[in-house]
Amino acid sequence: MVELKDVSVTYASGVDALNHVSLKINDGDFAFVVGSSGAGKSTMIKLLLKEIDATEGVVIVNGYNLRKLRRRKIPELRRTIGIVFQDFRLIPSMTVYENIAFVLRVIDAPYKYIRKRVPYVISLVGLQAKANSFPHELSGGEMQRVAIARALVNDPKLIIADEPTGNIDPELSYEIVELLKGINACGTTILMVTHEHDLVRHFGGRIINITQGEIVFDEILGGADEG
Amino acid sequence: MKVSGVRYLVQQGVDNVWKNRMMAFASFCVLLVSLLLVGISVLAYYNVNSIIGGIEEKNEVIVYFNDNTDDETLKEIGSKLRAMPNISEVVFYSKEEAYESLKASMAEYEVLFDSLGDDNPLVDAYRIKVNNIDEIQSTIAEIRKLDNIYSIRAPYDFVNILVQLRTILTWVMGAIILAMVIVSMVIISNTTKASVYARREEIQIMKYVGATDAFIRFPFFIEGMITGFFAGCMALVITWLVYDSVVNILQNQVALLNIIGMGSIIRFADIYIPVTVAYVVGGALVGAIGSAISTRRYINV
Ligand SMILES: Nc1ncnc2c1ncn2[C@@H]1O[C@H](COP(=O)(O)OP(=O)(O)OP(=O)(O)O)[C@@H](O)[C@H]1O
Ligand SMILES: [Mg+2]
Repeated sequence: MVELKDVSVTYASGVDALNHVSLKINDGDFAFVVGSSGAGKSTMIKLLLKEIDATEGVVIVNGYNLRKLRRRKIPELRRTIGIVFQDFRLIPSMTVYENIAFVLRVIDAPYKYIRKRVPYVISLVGLQAKANSFPHELSGGEMQRVAIARALVNDPKLIIADEPTGNIDPELSYEIVELLKGINACGTTILMVTHEHDLVRHFGGRIINITQGEIVFDEILGGADEG
Repeated sequence: MKVSGVRYLVQQGVDNVWKNRMMAFASFCVLLVSLLLVGISVLAYYNVNSIIGGIEEKNEVIVYFNDNTDDETLKEIGSKLRAMPNISEVVFYSKEEAYESLKASMAEYEVLFDSLGDDNPLVDAYRIKVNNIDEIQSTIAEIRKLDNIYSIRAPYDFVNILVQLRTILTWVMGAIILAMVIVSMVIISNTTKASVYARREEIQIMKYVGATDAFIRFPFFIEGMITGFFAGCMALVITWLVYDSVVNILQNQVALLNIIGMGSIIRFADIYIPVTVAYVVGGALVGAIGSAISTRRYINV
């Protein structure tokens, strides 16, 4: 669950990136966040991860009130969130398997669990054959599927994807969103930032439009693929 | 934390050393030089101290008197000497004794002594030992004020040199230790910075997926510790070799050894345990602390 109540963010440079934004995304929702460049979308994501703090207002993510959350507790918050980036951010020196297992090692998961869990999420994104490949041996779409598997492996309540289709072929974009939709169908809340209007139009659902730091549109639309 | 987790982190630390081998090598060299400078100056300090102690043990100031000084006056002077604070022992050494011992030491020149007949060219003397050799100068000055003194012989210059050497060494050692600790920390901090920079993406991802601060820093700590450990081992080997060869050279300097006494030079075999512990633990500690401090600065979780 994500809740912003009258949130504003002003950067040290004086830029007002978010202006009195209020927003609620319930558990199990799937929401697209759209808006032009510099509108404040990434700022909102940084806020949810407590990379930055709101200048004003209240931010609640998965039951944590971020204003009250101590620095020491940030890792606890982040373990409930999976994150996918436009540029994949895989570790080049690690295989697909290692890139995903890494997340579980970092949170000190039991060894046995890692050995069971990692192949399972790899199969969820359909990359069994590539488990031992290195990132440079994969296509963009495959790399993003690895990144999604990595976001998924810790069984987060919320997955945040910042333009996950930005660096891959448009045809493959649909595949990625299908994958996220599938994950959402299993109960994970998904927040996806995108520039691609075609995608949004195709899939429909909840659309949040941020323009110049303000939410100008927040509604549920029917997608083209809905009957 | 689980054993597998610790093993993973230690493995990461070991890998880091290899991945950043150029910087790790730079750290290694700086630590090595630091440890060597500190170690060798400490060892030199202890040796100088030991030599000074040895000379203190058997040091002797001999006070010679004018030939015509009568026994009464000599006794009086003897008690004055005994009363001086820095004098621990006063023994009368008559000119007859001196003459006999001179004759004994120069048996092959008997002819020479025969020609002198009963004429003893030597004078009466007191052999004096001092408590604190650092103050020998003022003690001698004090003695000089007494009457009837012909001359004073003291291991004056040599002691002076040693005492000065000890003072200089104390300062130099302090300065070296201070400078080296600072330089080592700065270099290690830079190595760690490079290491953090090389792994910034990995660290960023670690942060996003909820790794704790301690978990992210631990491998760097291990990396610093490993580098420091190896620098300590290397410093130990070099010190050992250098030390033993210096001792060997000194052992052949008979004249020098007569003054300082062979027993005054500390043998490496007698001190290798504390030296080994100091180097290895010191190296590992400086390495680990150096990188722990800098990861605190460069990783903002
Ligand atoms: N660290 C920062 N310091 C100062 N200003 C910033 C910082 N990050 C972003 N901004 C500014 O805040 C505003 C919002 O930026 P943000 O990155 O949230 O936009 P965005 O909607 O993600 O854009 P894009 O679609 O191009 O990724 C922009 O004007 C940007 O220049
Ligand atoms: Mg952005």
